Amino acid sequence: MISPPGRLMRIVQMVILVLMGIVALYPIYFTILASGRPGQSLYTFNLRGMFFPTTWTWDNFRVMLLETPFPVWVKNSLVVASATTVLSIVVVTSAAFAFSRFSFRGRSFGLVLMLGLQAYPGLLSLSAITMILTAFGLYGSHWGLILAYTTGTLVFSTWNLKGYFDTIPIDLEEAGMIDGCGPVQSFLLIALPLARPALAITALLGFLAGWSDFVFASSLVPAPDSMKLAVPALYGLSSNLGVPWGQFAAGFCIVVIPTIILFLYLQRFLESGLTLGGVKG
Amino acid sequence: MVGWSGRRKALTILAFTFPTIIGLVIFNVYPLLLNTYTSFTNNNKFHPYPDCSAGLNNIIEPYCWSFFTNAPKGLGIPFTIVEPLFKNYQTILGGLFTAPGVLSILTLIGCLLPILIAYQVDRRFERGLERSLPSSLVWLAGIIVSLLLLWLFGATAWNKMIDTGDFMAVVAKTILFVVLRVPITFVIGLVMALIVSSPGLPGKTFWRVVLFIPWAASSVAILTSLVWQFFFRENGTINQLLSIFNIKGPVWLADPLYAFGIIILVDVWYSYPFFMIAILGAISSISNDVYEAAEIDGATYMQELRNITLPLIRPALLPAIVLTSITAFQMFGTVWAITQGGPTKGAGVPGSTEFVMVYAYKQIFQLNNYGTATAFATIIFIFLFSATLYSLRMTQMTKGATA
Repeated sequence: MISPPGRLMRIVQMVILVLMGIVALYPIYFTILASGRPGQSLYTFNLRGMFFPTTWTWDNFRVMLLETPFPVWVKNSLVVASATTVLSIVVVTSAAFAFSRFSFRGRSFGLVLMLGLQAYPGLLSLSAITMILTAFGLYGSHWGLILAYTTGTLVFSTWNLKGYFDTIPIDLEEAGMIDGCGPVQSFLLIALPLARPALAITALLGFLAGWSDFVFASSLVPAPDSMKLAVPALYGLSSNLGVPWGQFAAGFCIVVIPTIILFLYLQRFLESGLTLGGVKG
Repeated sequence: MVGWSGRRKALTILAFTFPTIIGLVIFNVYPLLLNTYTSFTNNNKFHPYPDCSAGLNNIIEPYCWSFFTNAPKGLGIPFTIVEPLFKNYQTILGGLFTAPGVLSILTLIGCLLPILIAYQVDRRFERGLERSLPSSLVWLAGIIVSLLLLWLFGATAWNKMIDTGDFMAVVAKTILFVVLRVPITFVIGLVMALIVSSPGLPGKTFWRVVLFIPWAASSVAILTSLVWQFFFRENGTINQLLSIFNIKGPVWLADPLYAFGIIILVDVWYSYPFFMIAILGAISSISNDVYEAAEIDGATYMQELRNITLPLIRPALLPAIVLTSITAFQMFGTVWAITQGGPTKGAGVPGSTEFVMVYAYKQIFQLNNYGTATAFATIIFIFLFSATLYSLRMTQMTKGATA
């Protein structure tokens, strides 16, 4: 399809696009409107207020940021997500390098086995993970969460990064080998700098794993308030009686909108990755 | 060449992969083993703790490890291995292997047979030089006969199958959800991708970003779904809009059928961008020469779509379809935030939106039925494991690994 469509076709296209655009944006837009509405009701019984900002107040944001432990939750989430990012980069890059650069018995078996193991949903193994973390004294601490998230991102990121390492020509490392470069130097000095774009994806995936998870965070760190992470804590707000919807909407804006922006940034990487077969990278 | 060969090489490989192996053993392999072991015991809220002197307990149960200091031991009766060994599995699968269970499943498969026959007939026509019937007619006939059979026998067979026990009630609903959700998502994603990629469209990047937003929001599905839940509440946005036209909207989430539809709607909203992006990528990799040649020959838009675009993007889309099917099967956050698995007919009966993961979550964390819940998990794992391996073979994703 290289010639532009006819006039009627273009109009149909634009109508579909505008409708789908409204559907795609409305839930987010609705929440932004609700966050600036006075009072604690997400509903407004005035129709205009559902689509246009009639009144705007920063009250909900002020209450959320100054009078609730919300900033602490966000800080906890940031700490956990950043630690997951760093740890997963360290673990994943070294494993991916080994799987890409060394030929050893059981290499392809190991890669397939990893995918097979990943088929066991994290939610089902959660009770066992809870027990084992309790045994090591990590239950209810952020460290247990960080370890669990890092392992959660392991398989996909290792596959992805291994695929990227495979595309880097080995000639440079061979040149290094002749000059007496060992595997560790060749990994740190040659392969890693070349794999920078793929590292960015690994980092983003690690960060999002820590930032946006609900199930693990709500069962591994159930209490106290000062330890909670942003997403489960915000969800917890909504299950109280007399839910402060306005504050929930304000918190939603602070937590979800940066996530969406991060994802939009991730999009162009995903686009090139998906066509190559999902995890092949 | 230090470390590239011989003994040093083995050590180097071990050093590079050690953290990964440890992580997988602790967080993937061990839970798998423990769950499988638990599925043979009567571990539940009445038998919460192991008897450390019996069986494999002192090896596999964290409660029995010597460095596990603060164990709340001595509450309740310790759990034991059940007699007979597969009792939990029998409880879960229930009456599936009795006459009515098998009969109902066979009936449902029989109802779907015409579609399969249509597929085979179409394939045969494809191979032959001339076709006596157009492909769309064959498919249409197959689908109509199937729907007719389903309309006649489907409901009774479905209800009988659901009645055989929790397992079928939950798994059948989940499969129905996947079967409905994936094609809808695919079609919407395809249409949007075709529009966004159409030449000369103003604001291409803008539309691409806007239409992608739902998928970005799906990473925090648990929060975004709460907003969707408000829309469908009794006094929610939808019912307010309806009240303008003097229609009293129903209590959407209290109706089993509506609730199921809403879950599909919200999940389609979350996931059509995935297909859109995947198809956009595949379309952009098709060379323009093909279209130029077709246009010189006077091909219409629909001809180009059917004979060039769709066949050429198919290989890239198979993995995407398989991956979304597997993720849709495991969907949790959306349902949890919107219906929590309800509405249900009564206590203990899985609700109309109680999909596999929601059921497992409820059984484990709310009812503490560890024994039967882990038996359920094991069956699901065998299913997902084979699906993953099959998809690997089908899409040849492992090609890179063996090369």
